[in-house]
Amino acid sequence: MNGGQSGNRLRLTGHVLANTAISSGLIRLDLDLGRPVSFAPGQFAMLNLTGPDSLVFSRPFSILACEETVVSFLYRVVGRGTALLARQEPGCVVTFFGPLGGSFPPPPDDSPVVILAGGVGLPPLYAWWRRYRRGEDRAYFGGRDGADVPWSLLEEGWRVSVDRLTNLPPGAEAWEGLVVDYGRHELTTSDGPRLVLACGPAPLLRAAARWAAEGNWPCLVSVEERMGCGYGVCNGCVVPLLATGDATDAVLPYATCCEEGPVFAAERIDWDAFARTE
Amino acid sequence: MQLPDWWQTDPCQRFTLGPREIPGRIWTASGCFGYGLSGHDISSPEFASPYDGIGAVVTKTVTPQPRAGNPMPRLAELPCGALNSIGLQNVGIDHFVSEVLPELERLGVPTIVSLAATRPDEFGEMTRRLHAVAGRYDHWHGVELNLSCPNVAEGGHDFGRSAETVAACVAAARPHLPDRCLLAKLTPNVGEIAPLAHAAVAAGADAIAAINTVIGLEVDLASGQPLLPRRFGGYSGPAILPIALAKVDEIVCEVGAAVVGIGGIATSEDALKFFALGAVAVQVGTAQLRDPFATAEIARELSR
Ligand SMILES: Cc1cc2nc3c(=O)[nH]c(=O)nc-3n(C[C@H](O)[C@H](O)[C@H](O)COP(=O)(O)OP(=O)(O)OC[C@H]3O[C@@H](n4cnc5c(N)ncnc54)[C@H](O)[C@@H]3O)c2cc1C
Ligand SMILES: Cc1cc2nc3c(=O)[nH]c(=O)nc-3n(C[C@H](O)[C@H](O)[C@H](O)COP(=O)(O)O)c2cc1C
Ligand code: FES
Repeated sequence: MNGGQSGNRLRLTGHVLANTAISSGLIRLDLDLGRPVSFAPGQFAMLNLTGPDSLVFSRPFSILACEETVVSFLYRVVGRGTALLARQEPGCVVTFFGPLGGSFPPPPDDSPVVILAGGVGLPPLYAWWRRYRRGEDRAYFGGRDGADVPWSLLEEGWRVSVDRLTNLPPGAEAWEGLVVDYGRHELTTSDGPRLVLACGPAPLLRAAARWAAEGNWPCLVSVEERMGCGYGVCNGCVVPLLATGDATDAVLPYATCCEEGPVFAAERIDWDAFARTE
Repeated sequence: MQLPDWWQTDPCQRFTLGPREIPGRIWTASGCFGYGLSGHDISSPEFASPYDGIGAVVTKTVTPQPRAGNPMPRLAELPCGALNSIGLQNVGIDHFVSEVLPELERLGVPTIVSLAATRPDEFGEMTRRLHAVAGRYDHWHGVELNLSCPNVAEGGHDFGRSAETVAACVAAARPHLPDRCLLAKLTPNVGEIAPLAHAAVAAGADAIAAINTVIGLEVDLASGQPLLPRRFGGYSGPAILPIALAKVDEIVCEVGAAVVGIGGIATSEDALKFFALGAVAVQVGTAQLRDPFATAEIARELSR
């Protein structure tokens, strides 16, 4: 279902070019890898630090963009690893292992695409939008408030929603509410088929899946799970799937997020089991 | 690093373990490199492949039936190591023999198959299955019996905590491995490991693999509950290196058995410590998760 892996997986040493906040909560990291890397939207990389800051497990981050030898990420500080990452200054070494996992596919010929991105779920869909968008496609981004939104990345036709309509920069427009509700407000399921692509926190993914199911629209979601290795060798990152009737599914109801995902068809995920693991 | 004078071994040279020549002494540990099939499209400026210099891949543990494994979360990172509770998710011996083993052979991956079961006769049956197809598999070098997994039949404790159980499992597998090596992987979660190692060797094991993970628990302070759904997990990584070294030393000194050292190896210095105590080979686990070239790098650094 997803776009498959593109090219080889590389372990490289990156040097920080920039590591700066682009909104109140989001930091953009630009790493120079010393050689060009290609990726497909939705793929991620495992990042780690070296020396005393080195983490037992590398951390997964979706790739925002690659320009020549520079690969970019967007992240939020949520714990020890991201706090350490935020302290890396230009010139510091960050190890890169990627691109990993599957991707969001190119747009289908026969239906428009609706993108739903929340917070740090932006990178895969930002990359998709830049590469593939057509006139009939729609992109929605949801942030916490006006200050949390990375406006500089959302200039090309993005529609923005915020949980609280505060701190909007001059001239910026946003809809107050959840990003999926913004989509629902503008588009109706009777308009004809669309493909929904979603990435963000689990409640957003579930709401996107529910909306798509109402219209019988296909929906692909990028799922975040804790990871150990990122390359399919530890089984530490599994996502619960619904049985398809295939006999082996009944015994092995899990797929690895890192190799078989992170992009899954929403209807394949066992959302109830997924919710229990959050 | 500057290699010490006493270290004159080339770890990438073949060496004999029981009835078999193994391609090298630096291996990946069970559960930390999948079935050994996931590294072929990975490269780096320093290495053509993560398999460079690797003596053997010990596969994810395979059981008589497929196992779904435990619910998430399955991993918890701690400052000096990690807790895991994967729950032996695996495809089962039938699928392993029909699908995975041929692929490992085609790719030329030097393989040690890790097996776990709840009864000695199941170990016998699984090794018999492997023996039946052995003629086709030149890269399959042996079996590691995982005698250290939590098991319901023995009240949730590690299966291999009694010398009788260890002996019975090794004895059941040995007849089916006339020309492949047989390792018994032991639990560190016992007061003394030497009696278990002694039982394994007396029953025919060619070497002891030590150690498996140390039982541990992490509490999620927000909920006040254990973080892992099964409460306990297996502790691994740098924190367990001294525990592993002590257990290996006990086995070498008290039993004189060949030992494959495992536990907390992240650098070539760590690996050398096991060799200094007399280990014949080492395995790299948690460090291989962080970096697919961790084992290859250690093999390269220890080469003479
Ligand atoms: C495929 C993929 C792509 C990702 N892309 C991005 C991205 O582009 N930008 C970004 O900011 N983050 C992204 N993440 C999430 C990011 O990996 C985690 O935020 C990061 O690992 C946290 O590390 P830490 O050491 O700061 O936090 P920790 O101290 O490890 O954890 C802090 C808190 O976050 C929780 N947590 C940690 N990792 C996860 C996870 N993977 N899923 C759910 N909860 C988790 C922990 O339970 C804990 O409560 C992605 C994750 C995946 C799997
Ligand atoms: C994620 C994970 C999965 C593991 N799975 C297995 C397994 O299936 N069978 C087994 O014998 N050991 C398993 N182990 C234990 C390792 O093989 C090794 O004995 C242990 O982790 C100590 O080595 P380390 O500190 O280098 O990781 C696993 C360890 C980890 C971290
Ligand atoms: S993180 Fe190890 S298998 Fe996915």
